[in-house]
Amino acid sequence: MMNTHRAVREVFGFFLCLGRKTGKTRVFALLGLVPVALAVVVRVVLHGRTGDMAAVFTEILMVFFLQFYIVILALFYGTSVVAEEVEGRTLSYLITRPIAKPAIVLGKYAAYSLLMFLMVAVSLSLSFFIMNAGRLADARLYLTYLSYLGVLGLGILAYTAFFSFLGTVLKKAILVGLVFGFGWENVIQYFPGSTQKFSVVHYLKSLLPYRPMGGGGGGVALLLFRLEPTSPAIAVLMLAVIAGVFLALACWVFRTKEYLYEE
Amino acid sequence: MTAVIAATHLSKWYGNVLGLNDVSLEIEAGITGLLGPNGAGKSTFMKLITGQMKPNIGQVTVRGRKSWNSPVLFRDIGFCPENDVFYEEMTGWEFVTGLLRFYGYSASEIKERAAKALDIVELTKDKDRLIRGYSRGMRQRVKFAQAIAHDPEIVILDEPLSGLDPLGKRKLIKLIKEFKSEGRTVLVSSHVLPEIEALTSEIVLVHQGKILAQGDIRFIRELIESHPHMISVRSSDPRALAARFVGDRSIQKMSFGADGRTLVVETHKRDDFFGCLTGVVLEGGIEIEEISSPDDNLQAVFEYLVGK
Amino acid sequence: MATIREKGYSHWDGKLAERRYPWWPITRVGIRLAFRKKAFKFVFAGAFMPSFIALVGLYISERLEDFKAIVRSNETLINVSPEYFKTFFTSNGLLFLIILVLSFAGSGLIADDLKHNSLQLYFSRPLRKKDYLLGKMSVVFFFVLILTAVPGLVLFIFKMIFAGSFKFFLEYPWLPLSILGYSALLSVFFAFYVLLLSASSKNTRYATILVFATYIFSNVLFGILMSIFHKPALALFSIPANLQQAGAFLYGQKLPFAFPAVWSFVLLAGICALSAVVLNRKTRSVEVIK
Repeated sequence: MMNTHRAVREVFGFFLCLGRKTGKTRVFALLGLVPVALAVVVRVVLHGRTGDMAAVFTEILMVFFLQFYIVILALFYGTSVVAEEVEGRTLSYLITRPIAKPAIVLGKYAAYSLLMFLMVAVSLSLSFFIMNAGRLADARLYLTYLSYLGVLGLGILAYTAFFSFLGTVLKKAILVGLVFGFGWENVIQYFPGSTQKFSVVHYLKSLLPYRPMGGGGGGVALLLFRLEPTSPAIAVLMLAVIAGVFLALACWVFRTKEYLYEE
Repeated sequence: MTAVIAATHLSKWYGNVLGLNDVSLEIEAGITGLLGPNGAGKSTFMKLITGQMKPNIGQVTVRGRKSWNSPVLFRDIGFCPENDVFYEEMTGWEFVTGLLRFYGYSASEIKERAAKALDIVELTKDKDRLIRGYSRGMRQRVKFAQAIAHDPEIVILDEPLSGLDPLGKRKLIKLIKEFKSEGRTVLVSSHVLPEIEALTSEIVLVHQGKILAQGDIRFIRELIESHPHMISVRSSDPRALAARFVGDRSIQKMSFGADGRTLVVETHKRDDFFGCLTGVVLEGGIEIEEISSPDDNLQAVFEYLVGK
Repeated sequence: MATIREKGYSHWDGKLAERRYPWWPITRVGIRLAFRKKAFKFVFAGAFMPSFIALVGLYISERLEDFKAIVRSNETLINVSPEYFKTFFTSNGLLFLIILVLSFAGSGLIADDLKHNSLQLYFSRPLRKKDYLLGKMSVVFFFVLILTAVPGLVLFIFKMIFAGSFKFFLEYPWLPLSILGYSALLSVFFAFYVLLLSASSKNTRYATILVFATYIFSNVLFGILMSIFHKPALALFSIPANLQQAGAFLYGQKLPFAFPAVWSFVLLAGICALSAVVLNRKTRSVEVIK
């Protein structure tokens, strides 16, 4: 039997190859071109107003990335880690190989996370640098860019781990995921005190490299509305813990649960 | 001989539905046919053997090791599932090589094994086509290829001949028989009796989750005392033959075949009847052309056992 | 003389009789299948919450004296008028719940048939393509109407019951037509919308995401564009905004966005037309493999 590390690597390779070929990946990648198109349009409309463009990107386009794009991607790919194999009845091909079951979850999770990260990275990079084309000589721009990329990357890891866990446990994981991703995660920001901390998006927003100027702009309200941010170190730790815990749970459930195909 | 696969008081429920009912059996090396109608429990049994399901009661072991959560066993097990499902965006080549990656082979060995397996199932020409575009028979063959590509000692085939044309079936049957001569253990399921008969005489009959019988077809038939044996005798004068037999108490019933040359006899005492037949032959006067047992086959055995 | 009967699946050779409503069995089964899912029953029940709240509001408006002890300052806490009904029907909450219910009940309507190659089973019966599509659409009609038309008319009737007179009806005799008209608009639009996305994939999970995400994305896109360009016509990008614009028009109320309501109707009709074209292509009995 292969050791777990190698097994994870092989599963990763298998699904990375498979995942990038599917029509759904193309659709999601195309969706990622929407902010790029918006960035081009905004650049034409707000030609010369670099300050405005920076604000537009930070305050508005990040709403698309943070509260829609990565959630939708993670929801689809995360639930697909196990649910796709059960619905497609291809699970037999995987669990009758000499590899530990958790390696299947981990390998597939890693493959899909990388795919999603690449889609988000291309979309973010293009839209960010188009919007900030007038400030390319500014070193702080690249730090900001890397911060955004890091936030979205951590968001992908955390959300995908959670949705992967849902996918191992529930038959209709996608619906619970939709309610969580677009219901709970949006509504929780209106709750006072520590309630906000019971969401992934709180920690992601706490890491954003932007704070509203006095009075706040119109778009800032969308992202940072009533945010009582957690310190960046704690936020990163919590996201890592969320990803780790749910991934471990997903592995454990997948190892112990029996999956029956629907007749 | 040590059992390769052993089930002990194996039971499996699907909610309130009993899939397998207290099954205890041992399967040895060679080809064993698992026969039963749809819903009998064949696939359930195979899924329990291959660790895809957990038994509710009892256990199933492969080479002495429980199959549930024992991935190490799969180094030597090849499984061909019944469902016609694949990773449709892959080509046949990608599918077989992709799954071979999970065995720890080097890249060159993966290619070699995949090429050999696809050659065996005659898919070399179509290996670079998407599985989505394969015919039903090709899909079945590529499924078989992934089951044998890693040279497993134990091969579990769930309805492997389904979807194949007669020529394809003959080729696959020949291939499966070669496994036996190589000393492998093959468990093949089907609900089509002639397919199983063509593959093996060692059968396990399953019906409504229970094992009705296990062993050689002919020995099972011998054991069915409640049903008389049918013997068909083709001769030059079947009516004269019937006249000679009518006084023999071992014979329960006689009828004539549609061809006008066959006499079909039903008897509980086969040996006594053959003794009588031998006497008739020695007396002379009637030319015996052919003697056969129409019910000495799986269909008849199965029907007798399920009481149809 | 004995004949050998083939036991395999074969086309029926008898004379095909015309049914009065050939699409009805498809609708019936589609609704039944949706209710088989346990979680769906929970979500469906929850989707009636806005209607219940509106009913409570209606009750309060007629029992204001009883609530005067609680309501100190404002005598007309709730003014029940066509605006009240329009607010209820075009609320983001109700539309969100409808799309959630339809994600559950509608995303697999055609996706499952494509996955299991069932179309040839349908079309080997005396069923035309339009019967098949009407049957599937009727599943969506059922769920949308039961969440809109039924509570709307019930609210209207309860308003008169709580008021103890027909005054409300005499004041706004066209209101039931508005309720029915807007419900019909929602039903037809959502039917085309859900079936379009259900037909775009054999994977029900993916279709569910598409149904939900397209709806949400359209609104997110509108929000982004509005923040940048501040042009009300950008609401045309948003499905819920268009539905709200059309709803306000049908209720004879002030339009939420400063552009002609006819644009929203045209856009919604355009989506329905696109859906009709796609559905016509996708639903055929023989699969063409490219």
